[in-house]
Amino acid sequence: MKRKAFVYLLTFLLLCTNMNDVLAFCGFYVAKADAKLFNESSKVIICRDGDQTTITMSNDYQGEVEDFAMVVPVPVVLKESDIRVVDQMLFDRLDAYSAPRLVKYYDSNPCDRHYYDDMAEESAAAEEAPATEGAEAPGEEDPYKVTIEAKYTVGEYDILILSAEESSGLEKWLIDNGYKIPDGAEEVLAPYIKDKLKFFVVKVNVKEKKKAGFDTLRPLQIKFTSDKFMLPIRLGMANAKSDQDLVVFAFTRTGRVETANYRTVEIPSNINIPTNIEPKFGQFYVDLFKTAWEKEGKNACFVEYAWDISSTNYLKCDPCVGDPPNGHDLREAGASWLSGINDGQEGMQTANYQGNIFVTRLHIRYNRKTFPQDLTFQITPNTNNFQGRYIMQFPATGDLTCKEATSYLGQLTRRRRAEVKTLAELTGWDTADYEGYVNEYQSVAKKASRQYMLKVFLFAALFIGILIALFKMLGFQKTRI
Amino acid sequence: MTEAINYLKRDPRHYQIAYLGSFLTYGILALGWDTDLARYALVISTCIVAQLIATYFTTKRYNSVKSGMITALSLCLMLKVNNPITLVLACALAISSKFLIRLKGKHIFNPANFGIIVTVLITGDAWISPGQWGSAVFWVFLFGITGMFILFKVGRIDTSMAFLITYLGLEFAWGSLYLGWPYDHFLHKLTSGTLLLFTFFMITDPKTTPNATKGRVLWAAIIGFMAFFLAHWLDEASELVGLADWYNSKSIYLYSAPIWALFLIAPLTALLDRVFIGERFKWLST
Repeated sequence: MKRKAFVYLLTFLLLCTNMNDVLAFCGFYVAKADAKLFNESSKVIICRDGDQTTITMSNDYQGEVEDFAMVVPVPVVLKESDIRVVDQMLFDRLDAYSAPRLVKYYDSNPCDRHYYDDMAEESAAAEEAPATEGAEAPGEEDPYKVTIEAKYTVGEYDILILSAEESSGLEKWLIDNGYKIPDGAEEVLAPYIKDKLKFFVVKVNVKEKKKAGFDTLRPLQIKFTSDKFMLPIRLGMANAKSDQDLVVFAFTRTGRVETANYRTVEIPSNINIPTNIEPKFGQFYVDLFKTAWEKEGKNACFVEYAWDISSTNYLKCDPCVGDPPNGHDLREAGASWLSGINDGQEGMQTANYQGNIFVTRLHIRYNRKTFPQDLTFQITPNTNNFQGRYIMQFPATGDLTCKEATSYLGQLTRRRRAEVKTLAELTGWDTADYEGYVNEYQSVAKKASRQYMLKVFLFAALFIGILIALFKMLGFQKTRI
Repeated sequence: MTEAINYLKRDPRHYQIAYLGSFLTYGILALGWDTDLARYALVISTCIVAQLIATYFTTKRYNSVKSGMITALSLCLMLKVNNPITLVLACALAISSKFLIRLKGKHIFNPANFGIIVTVLITGDAWISPGQWGSAVFWVFLFGITGMFILFKVGRIDTSMAFLITYLGLEFAWGSLYLGWPYDHFLHKLTSGTLLLFTFFMITDPKTTPNATKGRVLWAAIIGFMAFFLAHWLDEASELVGLADWYNSKSIYLYSAPIWALFLIAPLTALLDRVFIGERFKWLST
């Protein structure tokens, strides 16, 4: 008899044990979205130190190399040593490092005490580049009143630096020499000429390109001294109707760069979004940007990333979705004030250079109508870090039938509803299909509470059963219950 | 009740506080400045406390806390910092300049202006964000109309107009007439909230402007010229004078140039007061 009791007791105890598996997912997944999310966009790196400016222009020209041409207003006649070609990889690395990212977290199961957080990232970034046109030929002077101040061949490019006396002459010269300038360009040529700017005019030297052996055209870099910290975008505005995207990677000694003549705004960030967004993350970010841009009246400049990457700063990114720029990259980009650049191990938390440096990633979508002025930048002492970060918070896994789970599941449903609402606000998407997502755990909650009630009932029944057995065994037959 | 309203109406500073306060509220609610709420609280409390302390040791006219509030709101709207301690410094500088830098019983510098410029100069931790408002034409109206209203009350429309006409006139002549930019290039300048705030609320501080109308108009025009000069030719001038390196480390751009200009020209007020005689301004019309 006593043994029966013992068996019952044991069974009871076993049933009470929580037999949840530990489904702690310790993964670290990093994936990158494809780089062509934004059409018609250009990428520029600007390094500014005192009055020294270094601008590197990325070049994703896809057409015939003979047709390629570029015209950039510059404040002085550049020396040959101020012009060079750099590796496209520099842009790709910076893009990957600073792109808006998607991170994953998992809730801990309220029924057990397993702890952990996990993160995985995906970054959505991407750019493309503007088409550029024209053909070539050095020009003459008199009828156009255009002077060729300098002529160089750098890498696979033939470069001319022109100065002009009147805009119509310059325009004619450019057209006659096969540089197709966009409509409406004349209205900016005149002020640039009056302001004594020169014109940096580029075409491809086919022979040199074959010798160099690269498939694509490499980015061009120019360096000059100028009191103005600005980017002449007006010349690139093809026509009033189309919007163009520009991503600027700005490096300075002291802090964040912002536009002085337009509003600079941080992109919405650190937001929870539905956990099924991963396959659509690229489209999500494209639409998020578009909505934010429209909300700002289409004439604001957006910060997508800002980080203090000084050598003394321990953390170069958090979470890291790409390698932070190393000393060689930074020097390549024009950050000549850094020292101690070595070939040491470069990692997330070390630096193979010495010095203060801050990176700002700006994304500007402009057109002729809403951006009547060229972008003027200012360096601020603002050293706050910022990143575009979107969070998927996954529900707990495992058995959710304990008492605490009911309140957790209620919270979960409310949180999901908020996520869907945020998604609609950020992107303008129609979220009617998300009802299922929101209510997904309702049924689990109901099931959980049903299961919980069942558990309680079974436990009670078993307990009573054991009590009765015990009483019987111990001879309390005639006890009043 | 009517007595209360009359009291409120009598002192134009109430209107200034109301308007500056509503711009700040708008910024917090619509422009995303809500992240700085704690800082605004810090600025306001520091300025008021500083004002009260200084008043206790001098005039004991505690009414002047209203001026302290205006200074605080101006600092909130214009000055940005990394470290909040810098804000405390700015407030201290602003309020103390009112009591310490005086000539013939009149303080020389607009306190908010002094606080902003000196903090930017000496800390390297502060800056002005001229683009923070955006370019909605809406600002032109808002600032313009509310500003005009107050200026009628304090009789300082002449200062704003003189400055605006000079400064914008020069900008127009240079940008649109000489260089040949299309007109929306110029119009874009008008939509700068910082410029408008300066024009209607900073340069018009009746306590730090010359007493006589003629003096004020001349003074404002000089500031207009100086602002234009700073925005366009300072680089060349500073090289001549050997200040180039120092200058390049500061970012004096077009839209914040007027704020610097006011700082530099403020001492001229005393001189103009001697040349053009006028009545000194009092806040409360009794």
